[in-house]
Amino acid sequence: MSISAQNLCWSVGKINIVNDVSLSVPPGKVLGLLGPNGSGKSSLLRLLAGLRRPASGQVLLEGRDIQAIGRRALARRMALVEQHATTEANVRVRDVVTLGRIPHRSPLSGWTVVDEEAVIAALDRVGMWGRADRNWHSLSGGERQRVHLARALAQSPRELLLDEPTNHLDIQHQIALLKLVGELALTTVVALHDINHAAMFCDQLLVLDAGKVVAQGAPEDILSETLMRDVFRVEARIDSSPHHGRPHVHYLI
Amino acid sequence: MSPAKDLVALLAVSLCIITTPTFAAPTTYPLTLDNCGVSVTFEKAPERAVALGQNSAEIMLLLGLEDRMVGTAFWPTKVLPELQEANDSVKLLSVETPSLESVLAENPDFVAAQLPILMGPDSKVAKREDFERLGIGSYLAPGICAVTHDTKDAYGSRDYLWNMDYVYQEIDELSQIFDVQDRGQSLISEFKAREAALRARVGADNADLSYVFWFSSPSPADDAYLGGKNGASGFIADLLGGHNAIDTEAEWPTVSWEGIMAANPDVIVVGESDRNRWELDRAENKIAFLNSDPAVSQLDAVKQGRIVVMQASAMNPTIRTIYGAEEVADQLAKLGLGK
Amino acid sequence: MSTPARKTWEQAGLGLFFALGGLVLLVAIAAGTGIGEMPIPIETTFAAVTNRLGWTAIDLPPIQESVIWDYRLSRALVAACCGAGLAICGAVLQALLRNPLAEPYVLGISAGASTGAVGIIVLGVGAGTISLSAGAFAGAFAAFTFVAMLSNGGRGGPSKTILAGVAASQLFNALTSYIVTTSGNAQQARDVMFWLLGSFGGVRWPEFQLVLVVVAVGLLVCLYYARALDAFAFGDDAAASLGIPVGTVRLVLLGITAMMTATIVSMVGSIGFVGLVVPHAARFIVGHNHARLLPTCVVAGGIFMVLADIVSRVILPQQILPIGVVTALVGVPAFSIILYRAKGAA
Repeated sequence: MSISAQNLCWSVGKINIVNDVSLSVPPGKVLGLLGPNGSGKSSLLRLLAGLRRPASGQVLLEGRDIQAIGRRALARRMALVEQHATTEANVRVRDVVTLGRIPHRSPLSGWTVVDEEAVIAALDRVGMWGRADRNWHSLSGGERQRVHLARALAQSPRELLLDEPTNHLDIQHQIALLKLVGELALTTVVALHDINHAAMFCDQLLVLDAGKVVAQGAPEDILSETLMRDVFRVEARIDSSPHHGRPHVHYLI
Repeated sequence: MSPAKDLVALLAVSLCIITTPTFAAPTTYPLTLDNCGVSVTFEKAPERAVALGQNSAEIMLLLGLEDRMVGTAFWPTKVLPELQEANDSVKLLSVETPSLESVLAENPDFVAAQLPILMGPDSKVAKREDFERLGIGSYLAPGICAVTHDTKDAYGSRDYLWNMDYVYQEIDELSQIFDVQDRGQSLISEFKAREAALRARVGADNADLSYVFWFSSPSPADDAYLGGKNGASGFIADLLGGHNAIDTEAEWPTVSWEGIMAANPDVIVVGESDRNRWELDRAENKIAFLNSDPAVSQLDAVKQGRIVVMQASAMNPTIRTIYGAEEVADQLAKLGLGK
Repeated sequence: MSTPARKTWEQAGLGLFFALGGLVLLVAIAAGTGIGEMPIPIETTFAAVTNRLGWTAIDLPPIQESVIWDYRLSRALVAACCGAGLAICGAVLQALLRNPLAEPYVLGISAGASTGAVGIIVLGVGAGTISLSAGAFAGAFAAFTFVAMLSNGGRGGPSKTILAGVAASQLFNALTSYIVTTSGNAQQARDVMFWLLGSFGGVRWPEFQLVLVVVAVGLLVCLYYARALDAFAFGDDAAASLGIPVGTVRLVLLGITAMMTATIVSMVGSIGFVGLVVPHAARFIVGHNHARLLPTCVVAGGIFMVLADIVSRVILPQQILPIGVVTALVGVPAFSIILYRAKGAA
């Protein structure tokens, strides 16, 4: 279940998007990806998901190179929740979650009890059970995001990659989702914008700047005023929250 | 040519027609013909014939077969005036392409077709097999099968000047099939004589006039659809001792008025058509344009009134071509350009 | 929410729906065989079919029996297959290109067919040994190859693929015009344009055999990839993350739709609206799941085309209304209704 990457490099044209990134996520832990826009978080996630081939470097799942794992076999264990997955088709919520069972079904196999249960459980966990027959276009942005997560959960993954999943959610749902991700005990890499959320919910953080790793480690170890200033270009003070014990960033105006 | 010489020529032609042997042998049945690579056999003269295509229909009417015709279809223009009454006695299936069912509904025993879109492997109307399997005789105009390696196209090759041979072959074969060979041969002779008469009118002092045959244009001053060098129009020009002013080999070239002025034709032949699609289908509108357009009216041919009117149907390679040539020749004579 | 019991009901309902649909299709084909310009009594129609099937030997007027069997029945069956084929292609392309306005001719296939047809008729390519339909098919496939190369097998994304299709259409249409203008005569130009205008008048039993095989194979391939088509709804990355080999699947599906469309166009010309509207109507009834959508398209497309052909044959006396006109006149209002209802439903 562990994910690790060694010296990943990826570029588009002459621009290095991901520049010699190495990381390691222990089984069942949550790694938060942080960094300003354009730092390469999305691209890194896609490399980890095997959707792009790195120019050099490897991605390993439990030590096995993902290039050696078949695409379908990979999809049976690793799920990706994209940032902006949209569709013109007015599909139903249930149809979207059902997509998550595709890696587990061969073209000729029918719908099994296992499939049904996985879909029901996934919808339930994200709180969309009652709205399974709603049409896609009638959902709010936050609801759509939750359905995407349900689809990922329906894949019965062991590894979960999420690209800024909390972007369109109410604060209530943001917290609920991050809490859920933590409770799933899947090996998770999640790109986040909110540094405080990352500090609260992630076991480890990795900070990217212009495609390079600038910091990696436990939140309390790497969050610092210098980091905030150099990478995120804000003045901040960091202390330990009296409420949850994790680091908390106070932004100075 | 003086009026006296005119009369002599006319008498000579009439004598030719009268004295040409018109007593051809009756057809012996069963008659087998090779028609476009298919061997067709007729046990007897057809009695319920359908003609698909104006030219085939008019040939059959000229052969006096209206009593044995049960239907016609596909008439781009009006029927020859002299055949109007006969044609009225035959059912019109459609002015456009007919449906197979409407043809078969007449219970025919013979179908003659002029064009590949009316009968053939790529036709949306009928295939030969549709008739063969019902024992209905089928006949394709010989011009259709002339898709040989040399000519490359069925209606007037780009490579050499069209002539009436295919038309004569069609008249001949149809007259054989219907056992009216005497009428067929005399019809052929008549056309050949008319052809010869036209050529005879070309004197030693022939000016080898250049012609532009204007079929129509979508709107005034738009590029004009002309009859091409090697098509029926070119044939007409050749008959009259002249040539087509347009040199391109396409059968219906589209030429701008600038190009036409550059060609500077001696005579402009304006087509008269009752098609009613464009305003310039009518000859009078064409003439009005020629006289009123500031640039075109400066053409020598226009300034000197060397404009003649001809039925546009003559520009299609059919029997109407001869009629058209005669129309032009007569008007040229009146203009003092011919005899 | 689905319980096992409800799932069984759903499947039973679906089965009934398809059975009913198939029945309606058969009735439509029967109507197409019995209805036409020539008034033929129903008993004769039945007798003609049973005669030709070898079950009976009733004495019938040969012309009527031939019209029923050799002409009307084969024509109705071809119409059904073409309607089914075009509808499948439309549904698949709409999913692949993620564009609800995609339809079978979006990849320049029809334009390519016109160039191929013109090459045979006007340029005399093949000197009479290649049939018009074969030439049209070759032209259609040339256009598809052009699009496939230009869009890098569709890898550039839906927009690039559609643009490549537009480019192909423009290019091949221009080629057709060029050939006709410089080489052709009026008759040939007319012949080609007439031939391209959709019509089922020129089909008989051999055409049915061909189109049945092509559409059946196409349907099977598309059904095999039905889930992949579902997965494409959210884009290439989403599909890839579900284990779909995106590049391969897309190329295969584009190729198979091109083959179906090219066969149909080279057989009966261009018939519009079917490939665009029928998938939307089908989605309205059974939803987006392609395992259900594709068979629905087969049935709905078949019924639509057969009925449109009947209308085209009988609505004007002694004349055939081009079927493209019928499909447009029906297709446009139908499409409007679907759009209107869809707005409300959301």
